[in-house]
Amino acid sequence: MTILKLVIRRSLMSVVTLLLVSLIIFSMLEVLPGDVASRILGRDATPETLEQLRTELGLDRPAPVRYLSWLGGLVTGDLGNSLASSRPVSEILAPRILNTVLLSVYAFLIYLPLTFIPALLQALHRDRATDHAFSVVTLVLLSVPDFLLATILLLTFVVMLPLLPAISLVDASSSAWEYLRAMTLPALTLAIVMAVYAVRMLRDNLIEVLDSDYIRMAELKGLSRRRVLLRHALPNALVPTLNVTALNLAYLVGGVVVVEKVFSYPGFGSLLVDSLQLRDLPVVEATVMIAAFVYVVANLIADVAAILLNPRLRNG
Amino acid sequence: MDAPVIAVEGLSVSYRQGAGFNRVVDDVSFSVAPGEVFGLVGESGCGKSTIALQLLGYRTPAMRTDAGTISFDGRDLLALDRAELDRIRGARIAFVPQNPTTALNPGIRVGAQIDEILGAHGYGEAGRRVDRALELFGLVGLPSRPDFLRRYPHQLSGGQQQRVCIAMALACDPAFVVLDEPTTGLDVTTQEQIVALLIDLRARLGMSMLYVTHDLGLLSQIADRVGVMYAGRMVEIAPTEELFTDPKHPYTRGLIGSIPRIEDKSGLPARPLRGLLQRHNLPKGCPFAPRCDWALPECFEDRQELATAGSAREVACWRWPEIEVPEDARALVESPEVEQAGNLLAINDVSVIYGSGRDAFTALREISLDIGEGETVALVGESGSGKSTLARAVAGLLAPAGGEIRLAGKALAGHVKDRTPEERRLIQFVFQNPDASLNPRARIAKALSRPLEFFFGKSTAENVTAALADVRLDGKYAARFPDELSGGERQRVAIARGLVAEPTLLLCDEILSALDVSVQASILALLQRLKTERGIAMLFISHDLAVVRMLADRVCVLFRGDIMELGRRDQIFAAPFHPYTHSLLEAVPTPLKPHPRREATRETAGTTPATGCAYAGRCAWQIGDICDNERPPWRETEEGLRIRCHHTLDELSRRATWPNAAPKQTEDQKVIQ
Amino acid sequence: MSIETLTAPPSRWNGLLPLWRQTPLSFRIGLIILLIHFVIAATGPFWAPYGYSQMGTGRPLSGMSWAHPFGVDQLGRDIFSRVVHGAHIVILLSLSGTLLGLIIGAVLGLLSGYVGGWFDEILQRFLEALISIPFLVLALIAIAAAGPELSGNPVLIVLVVALVYAPRIARMARTVAVDIATRDYVTVARLRGESAWSVMRRELLPNATSVLLVEFALRAGYAPVLIGSLGFLGFGLRPPTPEWGLMISENRALIMITPITVLGPGLALASLVVGLNLFTEGLARILGRTVKLGVQ
Repeated sequence: MTILKLVIRRSLMSVVTLLLVSLIIFSMLEVLPGDVASRILGRDATPETLEQLRTELGLDRPAPVRYLSWLGGLVTGDLGNSLASSRPVSEILAPRILNTVLLSVYAFLIYLPLTFIPALLQALHRDRATDHAFSVVTLVLLSVPDFLLATILLLTFVVMLPLLPAISLVDASSSAWEYLRAMTLPALTLAIVMAVYAVRMLRDNLIEVLDSDYIRMAELKGLSRRRVLLRHALPNALVPTLNVTALNLAYLVGGVVVVEKVFSYPGFGSLLVDSLQLRDLPVVEATVMIAAFVYVVANLIADVAAILLNPRLRNG
Repeated sequence: MDAPVIAVEGLSVSYRQGAGFNRVVDDVSFSVAPGEVFGLVGESGCGKSTIALQLLGYRTPAMRTDAGTISFDGRDLLALDRAELDRIRGARIAFVPQNPTTALNPGIRVGAQIDEILGAHGYGEAGRRVDRALELFGLVGLPSRPDFLRRYPHQLSGGQQQRVCIAMALACDPAFVVLDEPTTGLDVTTQEQIVALLIDLRARLGMSMLYVTHDLGLLSQIADRVGVMYAGRMVEIAPTEELFTDPKHPYTRGLIGSIPRIEDKSGLPARPLRGLLQRHNLPKGCPFAPRCDWALPECFEDRQELATAGSAREVACWRWPEIEVPEDARALVESPEVEQAGNLLAINDVSVIYGSGRDAFTALREISLDIGEGETVALVGESGSGKSTLARAVAGLLAPAGGEIRLAGKALAGHVKDRTPEERRLIQFVFQNPDASLNPRARIAKALSRPLEFFFGKSTAENVTAALADVRLDGKYAARFPDELSGGERQRVAIARGLVAEPTLLLCDEILSALDVSVQASILALLQRLKTERGIAMLFISHDLAVVRMLADRVCVLFRGDIMELGRRDQIFAAPFHPYTHSLLEAVPTPLKPHPRREATRETAGTTPATGCAYAGRCAWQIGDICDNERPPWRETEEGLRIRCHHTLDELSRRATWPNAAPKQTEDQKVIQ
Repeated sequence: MSIETLTAPPSRWNGLLPLWRQTPLSFRIGLIILLIHFVIAATGPFWAPYGYSQMGTGRPLSGMSWAHPFGVDQLGRDIFSRVVHGAHIVILLSLSGTLLGLIIGAVLGLLSGYVGGWFDEILQRFLEALISIPFLVLALIAIAAAGPELSGNPVLIVLVVALVYAPRIARMARTVAVDIATRDYVTVARLRGESAWSVMRRELLPNATSVLLVEFALRAGYAPVLIGSLGFLGFGLRPPTPEWGLMISENRALIMITPITVLGPGLALASLVVGLNLFTEGLARILGRTVKLGVQ
């Protein structure tokens, strides 16, 4: 009962957050400074094109009305038409999202071993050479911006060891193998960036759990090292790990923007950059809303999972 | 003496600190005989818990064993590897932790946590293990029902959790049990129940135990022999009774002297130990020398080894034969008969309710209490009795749901922000935890000058020095930050901060309970002096009846938001008692008082009846349904003691057994009255 | 023995050199790296071999050499000089943007945590919404919203960094304030009748400084990356500004020919961030805080 209430409450909060996000994005892009049409057209504006664009965007209507109709469109899945190509936004978005989802799944598959193996090794050999070595490596990798890391990987696997393609252009006609080859470098970049962050958090969480009173109690009961680790420590370190994973998913949404751009991978992130450059507002708005949606849902899932995994709440 | 169960020989342990190591246990030796309970006592940081862990061969990564052996079963525990230790831990030597709430894994059902220790030590198949777990629960006074095994730790009270830990320790019939401050984290009444359980278990199972605690009074009830530790060294070992009647080491004398005795009617503060333990600044010789009244120059130089001092006694002090205790030369303080000079604070029918709707919880139920000018009223009760709530309502941190509070005849607004600056100045609050009551980033001078500026518009360095002098602190403290002060010193500053506002009423919320016993005594002395010199009225909240007996003019006993008993101090500590007051008094650990033999009490489910007596359900003297359904009447003695109970005063007097275990005759009681 | 003797305080320990010896190694290394960067930023423009937009300094697209340690780009500009000239731009923009975000975030967060109620509730929802937009995306649309006239303006970059950081810092400051607000010394101030502003200034802020300091260092460590990412994507500073991210983007097409023209600015950027991260981690350890280094 209470647990259901908690979950519902938490979900409602997510809905409120998303509404606010839509309001913020709309205000920033369409209401705040000056005339949208002249901003979109920039220096190429002529009075006629301006007038035409204004009608096309419905700028003659007051802002709250435009916001509500845009919001209504978002909810019903009608995202409007692209200004650049006049095609429906949803039609443009769909294949891009699919590409990004594929890339993300691939990245996550690489990410998991890259996270758990070093973190476990560090926690078990804490304050010894292994631990320190991994700490240094993760700290340095943490400080390398993703676009630089992508460039270095490119240099390594394309220029020095020519194994993979430099440009990850794929389309519907590409074979699975082409897809895989194209996605490897972007996925590896994303996975490393996520893992570096997660390894440090997971290591600290594990050590915190290993330092807890109940782990000491378990050892004083005469339980074997294995049992202490698997039965007592890991389950309790799992909840914070979920949090890391949610945060990483959130990173992924932003990370794809840069990484896809570096490798010219036709995903949702490069779409955002391209449409920003073209000042294609309907596409930009839709893309940003999707990014925020993924972030909010990822956090929601992590929180709900934490509620469900916590016996304190489960049986409260 | 039989061959000992366990023998510690020359144990020295260090902790890594920065680049170096810091010796926390220094050449400690002792042994425990079969069936014996050995108590290990000392102030926090003296190394006693480290020894407890070493007895299970346990050390943290920062811990290093420098020397010594621990012989058990003909083997040296310190030389065993992990696999060998795993076979001994839990099976042959068991451990009861200090804080059961953190020691039980929050994600595993308590039954499973017991089951795994049985499983790990080869205790038969699953079915038999469940039977054993149920049997153990019965043994420690928990419901031996399968559904109870399926509970998670957070679904149990602190006392029940500790019982689970004890059951876990007993699971494999160990030869030796190590208890590391097993009652420190618990309520007074729960503490008493756990101690009673341990005494009972010991009598039934004949276990050997090491009982580690900072509470010497408690050890007198359970230990056969006591080892006293100071700064990592064992300074005295003696049979319990001899230790209390004839302490030899100056530190032991100081410790025993600083325990407030509840049976003491003199009103004199216990005598605190001088100074503080300064770990980084210990002399080469006896670590206690800087605080010792009998120290000679040699004491600082010569190492004091534990040496025989009579049969079964050992002392690490070369001067022990010559030490004579001076008579307590202090004059008896007559309990000042406070003439009701005038009423300062009137609390009329105050109720406080937390939350609203279905979750509403009544924290105080129509409380009425007056405090006269310069009078000290003590509020007594266990945690959850509403005593802090009442103080917070008086201070204006919580608005009462009903009733009113008047200061000098004028009604006070419920919220502090609606009160006048003058009203805010006249009532000052001192909090329990000295660590949290001072802004850690503000120098002491700032903490003291801010209220002066705020209330009087200006503050000078002289004001601050004077305020510090009032609480017996040197003026140099003004330039310090709180973390450069000890707990006791910080509490003095917190009191000074209240005093600079020149209040007429000081609210003291458990201000002694976070402090070491010896420090408590000196703060108590300070409060007594303030009371007589400055005539400030105090609402003194405490769960410690011995302290209350030294300080209070009147005492008000609260239980679950309702007043149970109210009267002058001496009347409270004499029959007739309210049943709850009586149980509180019984629960006070008193050195060498034989613990009343009683059934190891069971945990009771505590639900407060909405209409009846708040104490019904916990009451040992309950009459019947009337207690559950009808709110008891006030009964008043000729002297003005008020008790809220369905029993008559005569009946209450007849049932009283405190302070002696044997029940008294009603006639005797009448004569005394 | 007398209970009522005045107690004199123990002597106070002092000294700067032993203090330095006690600092964690990471802190010391981080500080040294940062000092090198600061010195280059402050003095670089005076000793850099060439101007940042000076063309024809060497053969275009030549690699590493003594004259051109980081090579020459296709316009014939010396990359090493450009990196040196860029140091103060990257550092100044990062620090001022982070500082602005810290000030806004700290004030909002501390007040909201102490005052509570509706103000707190609404502010929190609003900040949560801002945080839900991935920070790079938020930065990009903020730049888009500012319009073409402002784009490439360093002030805009500072404002964008502050906009991205302020909500995150505010949320953290609020958590700290909520925690401190329950401490007894704050209750004492409340009982005295101090105003919310006075409580924030006297009680909350001094106790939040160590957390805020670590937060500042942490965020400042990521600011060069954020600015670099914007430059890399073409939404940051305008060419020919020698901003490192922009330079990496400019020379990336030529990575096959002269990798050093990318790796040079990359090394500068990464070493600055490594220095800041090491410094942050050490600082946190000195102040007894835990810090989660990383993007979010």
